[in-house]
Amino acid sequence: MLSGLSRGWLRPRGRKEDGRLSRASGSATRPMSLESDLIATLGPERVHSHPLELLVYDKDAGVTRGKAIAAVLPETTQEVAACVRLARKYQAPVVARGAGTGLAGGAVPAEPALLVVLTRLNDILEIDAEARTAWVGAGVLNLDLSRATEHLGLHYAPDPSSQAACTIGGNVATNAGGPHCLAEGTTVVHILGMEMVTATGDVVMIGSKAPDPSGLDLRGVVVGSEGTLGIVTKILVKLTENPPAIRTMLVTFDSIQAAAAAVSGTIAAGIVPAALEVMDQPMMIAVEGFIHGDLPVDAAAVLLAELVGLEAGVAAEADVVERIAIEAGATSVKVAADEAERALLWKARKSAFGAVAQAAPDYYLHDTVVPRTKLVDVMTQIYAIGESHGLEMLNVFHAGDGNLHPLVAYDAREPGSEQRVRAAAEEMVRASVAAGGSLTGEHGIGLEKRDLMGLVFDPVDLDAQARLREAFDADGLLNPGKVLPTGARCYDYDLGELPGGGAQ
Amino acid sequence: MKPLLGPTQTQLDACVTCGLCLPHCPTFRLTGDETASPRGRLTAMGAVADGVVEPDGTYAAMLSYCLQCRACEAACPSLVPFGQMMEGARAHLATVRPTTTGRIRRLLVGRLLNMKWLLALVTSFVGLIQKLGVMRLLPRRMRLARGLRRQRVFPHSAVGVHDLTPAVPAGSVALLAGCVMDQWFPAVHDATRGVLQMAGYEVDSPENQQCCGALAAHEGAEIDAARMAVRNTGAFAGYDFIVSDAAGCSAHLKDYGHWADGGNSVAERTRDVTEFVAELIASGQLPASKANRGQVAIHDPCHLRHAQGIIDAPRAIVRAAGYVPVEIDPDGLCCGAAGLYLVYEPDTAEWLGDRKAEQIRQAGPRTVVSANPGCEIQLRAHLGGSYRVIHPIELYWESLNR
Repeated sequence: MLSGLSRGWLRPRGRKEDGRLSRASGSATRPMSLESDLIATLGPERVHSHPLELLVYDKDAGVTRGKAIAAVLPETTQEVAACVRLARKYQAPVVARGAGTGLAGGAVPAEPALLVVLTRLNDILEIDAEARTAWVGAGVLNLDLSRATEHLGLHYAPDPSSQAACTIGGNVATNAGGPHCLAEGTTVVHILGMEMVTATGDVVMIGSKAPDPSGLDLRGVVVGSEGTLGIVTKILVKLTENPPAIRTMLVTFDSIQAAAAAVSGTIAAGIVPAALEVMDQPMMIAVEGFIHGDLPVDAAAVLLAELVGLEAGVAAEADVVERIAIEAGATSVKVAADEAERALLWKARKSAFGAVAQAAPDYYLHDTVVPRTKLVDVMTQIYAIGESHGLEMLNVFHAGDGNLHPLVAYDAREPGSEQRVRAAAEEMVRASVAAGGSLTGEHGIGLEKRDLMGLVFDPVDLDAQARLREAFDADGLLNPGKVLPTGARCYDYDLGELPGGGAQ
Repeated sequence: MKPLLGPTQTQLDACVTCGLCLPHCPTFRLTGDETASPRGRLTAMGAVADGVVEPDGTYAAMLSYCLQCRACEAACPSLVPFGQMMEGARAHLATVRPTTTGRIRRLLVGRLLNMKWLLALVTSFVGLIQKLGVMRLLPRRMRLARGLRRQRVFPHSAVGVHDLTPAVPAGSVALLAGCVMDQWFPAVHDATRGVLQMAGYEVDSPENQQCCGALAAHEGAEIDAARMAVRNTGAFAGYDFIVSDAAGCSAHLKDYGHWADGGNSVAERTRDVTEFVAELIASGQLPASKANRGQVAIHDPCHLRHAQGIIDAPRAIVRAAGYVPVEIDPDGLCCGAAGLYLVYEPDTAEWLGDRKAEQIRQAGPRTVVSANPGCEIQLRAHLGGSYRVIHPIELYWESLNR
């Protein structure tokens, strides 16, 4: 039995007008007019402007802190639109925020902005079991959707590590991935339609239940745009059938390179497992401290492989994966005996980032993608970079799709540590890109990688993206300073001079 | 005495702001508001510790809205000791920004609750209004009284009771009598003593013990809490085990390490009665019934499930009593009782209580077990008279005496 989430039991309601926060913040007395307009629209209990409240909203799960003018908690698309229109009236930038589990600063205001918090748009509006789709509010938690559709034998496939806490709206903003996106694809292939509030405060519908919607298909443009093109308030998602058979294997290795080799070998053999995850020893020790799951903490690295499908196919593939792993130097292969063991392995994998504080108070998590054939090579380089900067490295990553998440644990209070971490980060990204990879696998560009966009895009590419953004948001009020580096749209091209055609 | 003022830097450093605690926090689920989330509260504590913001009314309100259910703690991969930090932050706040209501609250849990004669007087009064049937005239914030068991006009206490020594005792047990537990739930103590004696333990309820101090600690009355911890550490010296039949108390006794010198020894010897008895059943020292007496709904008190990680024990006891345990809430979200919370945040407490009651109604059984007095009161108040809410140990004791 679910906790009643699907019945809308946990739908939040506002605290009373005479409640503590509104009374304590005393916000109504301050003269700032955007704030007073917002209070007139939403009521004082859903507008935060006290310095302490804003401090709480200034940051997500990453390392960068921004500055909010106010944080508001609308409950409907119309209220979101009203907030955007008010911000526009005062020419204040608008940043959308979900549960704040992002790691690239996508929901952190790069310049003082109105934060529109979408957690209250958390109704699962419609589940169509036959069409295998669901309409959900942007604030619905990823895992809640899968739990609400469990009794129908369906689930929502993209499963980021923060799955239990992150919102579908946030997943759309970053085009989130997750372990099971290796076989199922990232968020973008699971989104059929979206209701979006535009920069002018209008409400538009993008996509539909029809597999091939009429007109321009803007879904791929909006998914992953990190709130720079509009604020998505409702989402039509594709649901995926639960697999008839699952086999989850934990393979140990005495070097991370051997684990990476097993991954490359599996992919080369033509097998696409549901998930292929690698975790190194320091990470495993931190996680074991939390879950007490009898993890093989003596191994230098483990590979978590999951195969799904019909029983016979799963069994055959498992044999192949095991053989390849042993050829690559696996020291042990263990298959999860039941659902409880499997759940524990995934809990271990998904609490990895959170467990880092056991090593050091701060962490910086990277998110790059390299070709899977270059895994061994890039991993070796990344450890060397960490070492050359004297940094403690932990590694856990979506090995199957070459999505690396090297993680640096450090203490921000130590002078100069952040500079070292950022310098190492840039080197790691450069190494990944040099190997033919990309800047981000799933966390988004946000603030973190904005200034590295030049590594993968030339000025013409960047200009094209900036033009697209302008088409949606001419005044640059939606999540300004994100994704595209400053000056991306630095000059107007004379179409005739463009190499190889036009930017349109 | 080790008074605790404010969360330490090491504790604050333990949070990496990953946000995995958010969905486990009842007040966050209720409001969707980061200021009502564990991560938000930790950020606020850190900001106050760093002197970035003043510990003003907004800060006080943020801290006070927390239920202290510690569900976030159980969900935290970085093992942030949120419960201790909240206690420290509230104690710090009480020093730097004392308010009249805060003083009254701390006086209530730090002093008055520990005065046996006063509590007995209240109990008599409750017994009297129950007899007169005028309960519904009570104001809203006092409605928790609806959830009380029927009280005696002349209450009795377990303190000082010494149960006859078995010929060859399996070990000695000190029973924590507690404050309201002793006065309002004597039947639970009777069942606990009966069951432990049956397993061959010598059971005492030492004379010089006091309230465990959990509520005082939760409210930030750190001097009172430390005083009680010191006193109890002395009272419980020399026993093999210290058993509590209130989850909130056993959880707090297990935290004694930072409240009193020698507290670690208390913590190591403390067992919640559910884990103690479940172990005795598993090892065959206590019988398990094969009867099928129907279904019983399981309510997990937060301080049993989240603070102590005890989940299987109450279910095992219910099975051993001959019943089938029925799950009501996979998330184990707080029922809203949370000590005095239902007195000072009645809206949130009522919402959570209604939610839990609805889950129990959906589940079916008319009997619910809860191993904590606060939850029991809250559940009975929200379920109404047609449901039976008892401690699992009572259910088990009942089955042994059939």
